[in-house]
Amino acid sequence: MISRRHLLAGGAAAAFALPFLRKSRAATGTAKRLIILYHPDGVPGVSSSGQPSEWHPTGSETQFTLPPVLASLQPYRDKCVFFRGLSMGPADVGSHPGGAKKLLTAVDGGNGISIDQRLAATVGSGDPFRSLYLGAMAKHNNASGDKHISYVAPGISQAPDDDPVAAFTRVFPTGGNTGGTGGTTTPDSRTMRRLSVLDRAKSDLDALRGKLGDTERTKLDLHLDAVREVERRIQGLGGGGGGATCSMPAIDAGGLAPAELYKAERFPQILRCQIDLMVQAMACGLTRVGVIQGSHHTSELIMSRFMGTPMYDPGFDMRSHQASHYGSNHDVAHREYRDYKLQATWWAEQLAYLLSQLAARPEDNGTMLDHSLVLYCTEVCDGNTHGHDDMPFILAGGGSGRIRTGRLFDYGYRRHADLLLSIAHAMGDTVGNFGDSSSGVLPNLLA
Amino acid sequence: MRAAWVVALVLATACGSEDSSYDYTSKGAALYQQMCQVCHGEIGEGGLGPALLDTKKSHKQLENVIAERMPANNPGQCTGECATEIASFIKDGLTSSALRCDAVPPAPRRLRLLTRREYRATVKDLFGDRAPVMACPRATDCAFRDTCDAGTCEPTACDAQTFVFDPQGRNLSSVHVAGSFNNWASTIAGGGLALTYSSGLWVGTFAIAQGSHQYKLVLEERDWIADPRAPSSQPDGFGGQNSAFTLSCSGEVARDAIASLPAESRPSGFPFDTDADSALVTAMHVDAYLAAAEQLADHAAPELSKQFTTTRDMVEQVGKRVFRRPLTSDEVSKYGDLEMATALHAMLVSPSFLYRSEIGDNGRLTGYEVATALSYTLLGTTPSDELLAAAGRGELGDAKGIERHARALLDDPRARDQIGELVLQWTGGEAVLTAEKRRDLFPGFDDATRAALAKETREFAAAVVFEGSGTLRELLTADYTILDATAAKFYGVSGQGKVAYDGKRAGLLGHASILAATAHSDQTSPIRRGLFIRRNFLCQELPPPPPFAGGVPDVDPNATTRERFAMHTSNPVCAGCHRYIDGVGFGLEHFDPVGRWRATEAGKPIDASGNLNDVERLGTGTDAPYATLPELAAAIANSRAAQSCFTRQYLRFTRGMRETLAQRCGRLWLEDKLEAANGDLRELVIQAVLAPDFVRRR
Repeated sequence: MISRRHLLAGGAAAAFALPFLRKSRAATGTAKRLIILYHPDGVPGVSSSGQPSEWHPTGSETQFTLPPVLASLQPYRDKCVFFRGLSMGPADVGSHPGGAKKLLTAVDGGNGISIDQRLAATVGSGDPFRSLYLGAMAKHNNASGDKHISYVAPGISQAPDDDPVAAFTRVFPTGGNTGGTGGTTTPDSRTMRRLSVLDRAKSDLDALRGKLGDTERTKLDLHLDAVREVERRIQGLGGGGGGATCSMPAIDAGGLAPAELYKAERFPQILRCQIDLMVQAMACGLTRVGVIQGSHHTSELIMSRFMGTPMYDPGFDMRSHQASHYGSNHDVAHREYRDYKLQATWWAEQLAYLLSQLAARPEDNGTMLDHSLVLYCTEVCDGNTHGHDDMPFILAGGGSGRIRTGRLFDYGYRRHADLLLSIAHAMGDTVGNFGDSSSGVLPNLLA
Repeated sequence: MRAAWVVALVLATACGSEDSSYDYTSKGAALYQQMCQVCHGEIGEGGLGPALLDTKKSHKQLENVIAERMPANNPGQCTGECATEIASFIKDGLTSSALRCDAVPPAPRRLRLLTRREYRATVKDLFGDRAPVMACPRATDCAFRDTCDAGTCEPTACDAQTFVFDPQGRNLSSVHVAGSFNNWASTIAGGGLALTYSSGLWVGTFAIAQGSHQYKLVLEERDWIADPRAPSSQPDGFGGQNSAFTLSCSGEVARDAIASLPAESRPSGFPFDTDADSALVTAMHVDAYLAAAEQLADHAAPELSKQFTTTRDMVEQVGKRVFRRPLTSDEVSKYGDLEMATALHAMLVSPSFLYRSEIGDNGRLTGYEVATALSYTLLGTTPSDELLAAAGRGELGDAKGIERHARALLDDPRARDQIGELVLQWTGGEAVLTAEKRRDLFPGFDDATRAALAKETREFAAAVVFEGSGTLRELLTADYTILDATAAKFYGVSGQGKVAYDGKRAGLLGHASILAATAHSDQTSPIRRGLFIRRNFLCQELPPPPPFAGGVPDVDPNATTRERFAMHTSNPVCAGCHRYIDGVGFGLEHFDPVGRWRATEAGKPIDASGNLNDVERLGTGTDAPYATLPELAAAIANSRAAQSCFTRQYLRFTRGMRETLAQRCGRLWLEDKLEAANGDLRELVIQAVLAPDFVRRR
């Protein structure tokens, strides 16, 4: 039973069969999953007056220090990789939107598909959900288009699901699909009906394809892919066949009625729910590619409404983007810079939380974190100067041993497409290049 | 494994124009639009940057300038093939002869995914008022049509029900629910379910056992009334009505399937939800379509099985309405051999339902496609049986027939809704429903008020177009607006309906919806308001700030907004663009972040004068100083740019396309018609469906 008044329980309260679990494993030695965690509006990097970054770690490849804003990552230092010198190329037309478009596509203008969609179509293609794209207030005020970072087709982004309860219901449908429990092999009539429906949809899509030009055919091809994904998932779940039950702690979505989904005070809870849901979905083998988008570029998110954080101030609205434009100096006497550092600290804490959830779940000879890849990213470097160089990426997780962690890699000047390419390889997708500017996997990153 | 992606920019795909010698769907054209147009103009007419139209420079010279010095604020981004493509476009496509419009080329063949708004309206028209529709927990969920403020509250869960009561301004000490589930408790102490007053409404959600229930609302433990928002009602045996609802937990939890349809993507610079090229169906969509269709099919199946003996019969008759055309015999067989509910379920998930077909036959939309286009364009919903029948009779095969039916549709009350929708989206006024505002600074700016302000913009637009002169001028400069009781209370005026402005406001720019949407939670933003006017009303774009632009100057809490932002224009790095923005936004400074009038700010009188400079085109060096909002509105209304921009925006909304130069001749054709009609937007609506590229397809 799902309700916004209750905890969301995808396991303990409603155990159900997941025959996909353990079925579609990653090949040994490849990362089992990728989670991308996005935050908006950059970090306190090099100031326009030339003061050094207060975000990037300093030191050598293995002996490096985390700055205070990243203190929450200290327990995971050895599972993380930090970077210097990764560039998204010239800061093109529109640093915030331009950055957001290039971030996961590595193509100017977002004229390519994003890494999550690429992996969804390759390593994720057999999963019940080829990928999951969850958001926290990422669609506030009809935000769309260049505010979203997952590109399904060149130039075309898709929107995340900002509603944890709706997303949960979609990923862990309760009540329905009862055919699996107890190991029965006959799919129930509801499942059969849905399959007939989707079958005819496919046939109609095929018939339409022939009448259209290239662009429209691409549209229908994507539609067909989507139908097939859902069909496969329904077949898998409704088909029964014993599988392990997937029993996980509940997610606290109390009070998250639709009317609450865009109130700033709820943001921390919403983001936490989406992180929990993503981890849970992956633990249950339902997907292996996920993007969690916190807000969006040039964010109006009023972070001074977050109770229980040092940023909290009911008498003053400090918006994320506003804080990011802190002036020429790193001066904590200025309200904007003070809050900007606190924001950066807070976002890093959310990454730490995600890592803690992965680290808490045993998997094979270690934990989920050991076998995962987490990419932490934002669309510009320093929020005030909007640059696209020395981008503040963090890669976390062992990737099943494919990643040399506990490192600070300084690549001088290297396009970030190579980081995305490296991630693809670590996931088992050994494509030759990614985006329009990759030159090869990052040296020393992959074990 | 997906085939390799072609890096094709997904913009309109007119397959070449018959009359111009240049193919405006070229890569060079697309690159120019993306990187150069903002400064050099859509046809190279110039703006912030120099004109390129009919340039004397050679290909090679252009390539070199582009590769070495462009874009001007951040050179070096377009070299090699990029520079070559754009140079070719400039040399061959930005010439007076290539741009000459001898005729309007046909539009591309397309499929247009129903927007959520269109989907809901369609489903309502196909299945009637009692079809499962959105539970509308808040006004924003139903911004386009029925709201829980004005409509019914369907059961929101299988074991709980939400109650909403609008006291309409009455001060009540308590409201509670008494019904069959709590022994008709007459007091709260006695078990009545007490509602809580929040944001102008009495609300409450309570766990209630499954089954059918009846109830009433009790005001102040004294007045028993039927709930105006109950899904249904029954006679109470005393000459009145009991409200009724049914909760059932069998199967999946009753969820709002239509609300799970993903939101449309609005590409930047495109204010509407109708862009068809970015409306791609993902697995999330398919899940939502599947679930919604299932709900609808199960709801309709009992009636249908009384009406039709075989599925084949149902498929033929109902399928014609669902697919908006007669089914082929293959389709009838394909669906006809299913059980009836399943067949309907399947038809509602078919692309033939989900997409509006604009494919055509022999270069022209079929009669049924014309009916579909007319109905969705003018009314935002599926074509009626009558219109489909007219199509079947061939009445939509020529301009006369199309005009006759279009004019008839314009008389339909839903045409007013559609105009209201157009204007609300065009002005971005919908954001008033969700824009964050400080509750301590603006108490009372609650959901009901926001909904009333959005409604003001819709109703005003409809009033101007259907009762007024129907001109853009009136939309911008009218000395009145249309208010309901809630809106009137917000503005602090007496009277409802058509209410005269007091000289401080004019037309749409006086609407709090727009003023609130373009302000922050706690302060106004001349930048946002200025950009809004430039973009939405004048279709003028400005390049984004260059990287390393430096920070925004520190905020001085003792300065007015104008004083604080003055630093923008004094800094030469910023002034180049900001002189076009701030000077326009300042004109709205008398209106606070929720759109109320204010005479002072930070204790100082407000200076709301400004200059609508270069109104026709940036870089022309004209001035249009103004001292009040009505003067600013008049300056906008007097410009050709505003008229031309509105036509462009109207076409975006109705054609669902981000325009390229391939659509330019069509737009100019329509602008001429609008001018010939003295700016009457009703004629714009009619002429837009008589345009050569409305029915012709390539």
